[in-house]
Amino acid sequence: MSTTTTAVAQRGISLKGLTKTFGQGSAAVEALKGVDLDIEPGELVVILGPSGSGKTTLINIIGGIESASSGEVTVAGENLGGRNPADLSGFRRDHVGFVFQFFNLIPTLTARENVEVIVELTGKGDKAAIPGLLDEVGLSDRGENFPSQLSGGEQQRVSLARALATAPDILLADEPTGALDLATGRQILQLLQRLNKEGRTIVIVTHNASIAQIANRVVTVVDGRIDSVKRNAKPADAAKVMW
Amino acid sequence: MRATTHKSIRDLLRQRAQVVAVGITIMLGVTLYVGSASAFQNLTVSYAYTYDRLSLADLTSTGGDGDAIAAAALAAGAEEAIARIQVDPPVLIDDTKLVGRVVGLPTNAHPTVNDVEVLTGSYFDPGATGQVLLERHAAETFGLGVGDTVEVFAGGSWHSLTVQGTVGSAEYVWPSRSRQEILADSRSFAILYVPEEAAEDWLGAPNQSAVLLPADASPALEDQVTRAMRAAGAVDVTTQEDQPSNAALHEDLKGFDEISVTLPLLFLSAASVAAYVMLSRRILQERPVIGTLMASGARRGRILRHYLAQGIAIGLIGSVVGTVAGGFLNGAITRAYTSAIGIPDTLVSNHPSILITGMSFGFVVGALGALAPALKASRTAPAEAMRSSSPLHGPGPWGRLVARLGRLPVTTRMALRDIGRSRRRTIATMIGTTLSLIIVLASVGLMTSMTKMLDVQFAEVQREDATVMVDATQSGFPQSLDDLADVTAVEPIVAGPVTAIANGRSYVTSVTGFDLGTAMHGFRTSGGRPIDLPADGVLAGVETASLLDVETGDTIVLATASGEISVTLAGFVDEPFGTLVYGSRSLIAPVLPDTGVDTYLVSFADGVDRDALRQTITQMPGIVSYADSQALVASATAYLGLFWAFVGVFIVLGVILAFALVYVTMAVSVVERTNELATLRAAGVPTRRVAWTIATENLAATALGLPFGLVLGVITAAALNSSFSSDLFRLDLVLGWWPLPAAALGVLVAAALSQWPAARAVRRIDVARIVRERAI
Repeated sequence: MSTTTTAVAQRGISLKGLTKTFGQGSAAVEALKGVDLDIEPGELVVILGPSGSGKTTLINIIGGIESASSGEVTVAGENLGGRNPADLSGFRRDHVGFVFQFFNLIPTLTARENVEVIVELTGKGDKAAIPGLLDEVGLSDRGENFPSQLSGGEQQRVSLARALATAPDILLADEPTGALDLATGRQILQLLQRLNKEGRTIVIVTHNASIAQIANRVVTVVDGRIDSVKRNAKPADAAKVMW
Repeated sequence: MRATTHKSIRDLLRQRAQVVAVGITIMLGVTLYVGSASAFQNLTVSYAYTYDRLSLADLTSTGGDGDAIAAAALAAGAEEAIARIQVDPPVLIDDTKLVGRVVGLPTNAHPTVNDVEVLTGSYFDPGATGQVLLERHAAETFGLGVGDTVEVFAGGSWHSLTVQGTVGSAEYVWPSRSRQEILADSRSFAILYVPEEAAEDWLGAPNQSAVLLPADASPALEDQVTRAMRAAGAVDVTTQEDQPSNAALHEDLKGFDEISVTLPLLFLSAASVAAYVMLSRRILQERPVIGTLMASGARRGRILRHYLAQGIAIGLIGSVVGTVAGGFLNGAITRAYTSAIGIPDTLVSNHPSILITGMSFGFVVGALGALAPALKASRTAPAEAMRSSSPLHGPGPWGRLVARLGRLPVTTRMALRDIGRSRRRTIATMIGTTLSLIIVLASVGLMTSMTKMLDVQFAEVQREDATVMVDATQSGFPQSLDDLADVTAVEPIVAGPVTAIANGRSYVTSVTGFDLGTAMHGFRTSGGRPIDLPADGVLAGVETASLLDVETGDTIVLATASGEISVTLAGFVDEPFGTLVYGSRSLIAPVLPDTGVDTYLVSFADGVDRDALRQTITQMPGIVSYADSQALVASATAYLGLFWAFVGVFIVLGVILAFALVYVTMAVSVVERTNELATLRAAGVPTRRVAWTIATENLAATALGLPFGLVLGVITAAALNSSFSSDLFRLDLVLGWWPLPAAALGVLVAAALSQWPAARAVRRIDVARIVRERAI
């Protein structure tokens, strides 16, 4: 085993022969048809694909909110095969942070409390670090505002801070700019890029090819298979991405 | 089938758990309505049939010359009128000496008024004098049949009679001695029908007349006959409505009547709220679909009807099942009741009007629950509705206030704020809590009050252990009673029926004369404060004030068969049973007729063997009757046992109601917040923590409903008790300390239990599916 493979197995993401089938018999739909992929620690990978290509299924399996039908999934040194829901919940708690297209903030909690509630309910993370997290996402002065008082971009930044609250090894973002305009979308991408530069592994799923410019590697998924893997020698600055 | 019909069916199937909860609540409401309203109708009809078959008197006079009064009644337009003798002399059955009731009947034919139904044996032989027809309650209690003998004490000696048959009577369906003694110990009261010639020989001339009015008699005719009877010398005329047995049964029927309205109303209100919450959630969830339909040109009326139909469908399903179940419940209640009470005729039928009303309840409840959400759906603005996410609403003043409570855990703050987040849901939960507490407290209040009523009557008011009657010619009393080792006190009293008259009104009751400073009876005012028996003047039950329109200091006339006296009303006493008159023995004795017996109240030492003492006393020479006060308590307590069973059922119903409504709101809460909950799950928050967070919110809303439920529950309980109060008995609400916290705890437990299926729903949230469905 090479040094890189060992590091991937220990802190990164390793997928081998991954398949996922929904339904049974004639109604069965193969969402993933044998995916092999290694993501190294500290990488920023964009998984690109059209609607229905299987990219969201792929990120769900990496994050442990869905189980593969077959194949081997190792994330942050943990094999996710054959685990029960409670185990997977513990895995997510320890290793993964999610950012979704729709922010799903709790409307009755302030921005700060939306982050704090995760620390309280998971028992992971540090409440004292929350002001720092909000500062990191540029919301240090908006912490006491309720979601209804925040813009879409601000809400997505809160969801980003929420994903970081448990200090995850890996950040998984599913269409993080899908509900945002260009300017606010760029702000989110800048944040993700900065977090990556600080050493965090980030996987972004998108159908927006422009976003692929900021990645270290771009994995294109078509019809449940990896169509291509392209390495960006020089990832673009998120502030300059256009779509 | 139309596509919208398909959609409705599938929508209801998708929410089947909530649909079932709402449907069951409607079903219970309709079942209770159909069951209790039909039972009420059946019992009313059954009584009427028995009364008609056995010619129960429409009017009964006391006092005066029975024959003359009967003649006057016939002359004034009565259809039938008879004169008869009715006296309460000592009776010996087996070795039990008790105060019985002897009623004279003709031997040559059945009486045309107040007839008896021969159950075993036969009616009197013509001209018989030594026969007796035993009323069925006494026959059952003492196990007597044809050929057995009983003795009646009259004219200073015992007269032996042979049982010719056992009979049932419309007058004694419920064997009450009088309106003042609705509850009677079956071993202390027995009704004996005796040939009238023998009865008159021993006990005197007819002192009653019983009158039947024509079937179509107008109130004016009843009034005319009543006036004629009074003019002929009747001291009092009692209507069929006030006849003791009928009045007691009527009080019981009132309970059915009220339950048949109140309880279903509570369930149907809850069901309506639950349907409202459920459909509101559906419409919120389907806003984009509704917006799309409306953008495509769908008519508002069509959208309105679509959602209205869903509510009506749930209502109709619940009401159809409820009506069928109510039909069965009706038969079960009617038969159980008539069997328990021993009503001679049981007529069971399902009344079309009640069935139709029950069915329409479901329709109305479903429609009412669905109306507001359906209207809202039909008024949806398409452009706004088609946006994929619902607009976020501001935190509001409550949310901002809670935000200041920084020291509380976030989950607690979240729970508190969610009270204001969906006000409809919170109000629905509060309504469920309130309605449940109303049901529980009203039924528990009835029982705790009855228990307290018995305690007051037999511990504070009637303090004697036994009432003993002695042949007045026998010497040595009361000393020989006092000499018994286990007897602690003996007091003489005088007592008898009396008619209290004032302001042109009269009221038939009983009067008792005690020694001043008696230890055998506690006199208490409305507030429970003890007062003394006055040396001159009388005390009367509080209902006398309204019955005779009198107040303290007024003069009232006490009339008996022996004459009448005018006395000052010195005050009112508040006693649970009856509305009686009390005075000093020296004041009352002169107005009561000489019955040839002396009456003593006796109290025993603590822990005495009551049966042994009863045997000892009844075997003493000269003792003609013995009534154990505790036996009445025991029979009353046994009677209450039946009511406790009803209360148990009502409490279960209250808990079901709380469970159903809180479950629906909880399930709606989970569905409304699926995305938030999925996000928490995706972040690795354990399922039980997510479920607990939701449960805390719902329990907070439940807790918020507790004060309203407790207050309204107490008010309802007081109103229910008050509706049962009359001159027969007073039922003041006494809840005690435990029912309030116990009821609150019970409802909280029901609410907590209802979190279980919702917690399952949290566990079943498919995080991956939600993420997939929301991704582009």
